[in-house]
Amino acid sequence: MLEPASAARRRVFVTGVGLISPHGGEPEEVFERLYAGESAIRKVHSGTTEFGADALLARAECDPAGVIPKTQLLLMDRVSQMAVVAAHRALRAAKLLVEDRGPSTAGVYIGCGLGGSNAIQEAYRSYYERHIRKVKPSTVPLIMTNAPASHISMRYRILGPSLTYSIACSSSAVAIGEAFRAIRDGYLDCALAGGTESMLNDGALVAWDGLGVLAKEHADGAAASSRPFSKDRTGFVLGEGSAAIVLETQEAMRARGAQPIAEVVGYGASSDAHNLTQPAVDGQVRAMRAALADAGLQPERVGYINAHATATPAGDKIEIDAIKQTFGDHARRLAVSATKSMHGHLVGAAGALEFAITVLALNKRRLPPTANLTMPDPECDLDCVPCVGRQAPNLEYALSNSFAFGGSNAVLVARRA
Amino acid sequence: MSSYDYIKQVLIEKHDVKPDAIKPDATLAELGLDSLSAAELMFDVADKYGIDIPDERANFTTLGDGAALVDELIQTKGA
Repeated sequence: MLEPASAARRRVFVTGVGLISPHGGEPEEVFERLYAGESAIRKVHSGTTEFGADALLARAECDPAGVIPKTQLLLMDRVSQMAVVAAHRALRAAKLLVEDRGPSTAGVYIGCGLGGSNAIQEAYRSYYERHIRKVKPSTVPLIMTNAPASHISMRYRILGPSLTYSIACSSSAVAIGEAFRAIRDGYLDCALAGGTESMLNDGALVAWDGLGVLAKEHADGAAASSRPFSKDRTGFVLGEGSAAIVLETQEAMRARGAQPIAEVVGYGASSDAHNLTQPAVDGQVRAMRAALADAGLQPERVGYINAHATATPAGDKIEIDAIKQTFGDHARRLAVSATKSMHGHLVGAAGALEFAITVLALNKRRLPPTANLTMPDPECDLDCVPCVGRQAPNLEYALSNSFAFGGSNAVLVARRA
Repeated sequence: MSSYDYIKQVLIEKHDVKPDAIKPDATLAELGLDSLSAAELMFDVADKYGIDIPDERANFTTLGDGAALVDELIQTKGA
């Protein structure tokens, strides 16, 4: 096979992380709260309409003041506002904000599941309540799923490709994986990659509820309701937020004297080609194997997996089986944790938030736990880091799994820098 | 409140326009509104007065002309 001129692979590093998350916006603080096993899940009234009800949610705070001009806020759904603020934080952390602009030759790769879900609800509510054939002129620009990526490109004048990946729960893992490849293979030197999701409104919640995948409130309280790998798990808790990371080549990083947080070394994707909502062991195994092969990595060198594990009765066991099949005997020697037990399921932003956590875990050589894991499911019998965070001094490689509705699987591999 | 004063209020509160920049002969572009923001403004004004601003008449240039158009449409509606 002919190889392109760019076949010489370049090394890709994470040099900045920016977050809007249920545990806050400061990566150090977010990691410490997760390491301490603290859940950000609460029971709140989703009172955007009179039909609102109490719901288990992991809300995030987003204050766009000082980042987004007031005149622009009108034209941006919360999902875009979160994306721009997270991007701002990532660029600032990477020291790539110069005179309020980002690196002009970079690319923007963003994952998003539902787009401007709040604006969708508002437009439909207004239309059906008022019976007037007019909605806000900005409705379409507010709703479009690629608005967050475009707003980032515009706000920071980043002129490379501005791309959106909408693949449900794998959206932002794919966005990061594709950005990683574009840099590694020579198409870009730098990318802002991540994900964003904000759909904690009644219309979206009732749809998720109708699917029967949401957690019931646990006897120990709302905060204990997301219980991956537990015998008594009942489903997931929806969260919101945005996570952005800056990726760049080793040369670019060195040239400006920047420090790496971790290295991205592999990405694998696959389809179950099986069922829209039921996951499958085989597809997940193929994605993990593809990611390891992409990294040129022996499975025995992986020390930690940040699992997709949403806490649905079927899903967690399938992922554990897939890990066993991929890693063989080594599955019992590596650690697997499900941080969705604490930050909930951010859907389009899940992969990016969890990859950011994975990268911080590698950097600190400490593993966040699976919260609420007091009564493990005997069928989820791997080392799932129950309840208490753990030092991992020898940790060198870690995986972050994302498995979407639709059967699209994405796995990222990172290495300690 | 006159329609001009209402337009002024929306420009200040939602579009962050400085009050002393708002004059009858100012255009929306001069006040920093792009076409989408201008459409949002006229949507709010039409909504407030329960009027319909026909597309072919929405191409007024100055704020004073816009307010006059709104007043005329309010009159027509009442007639």
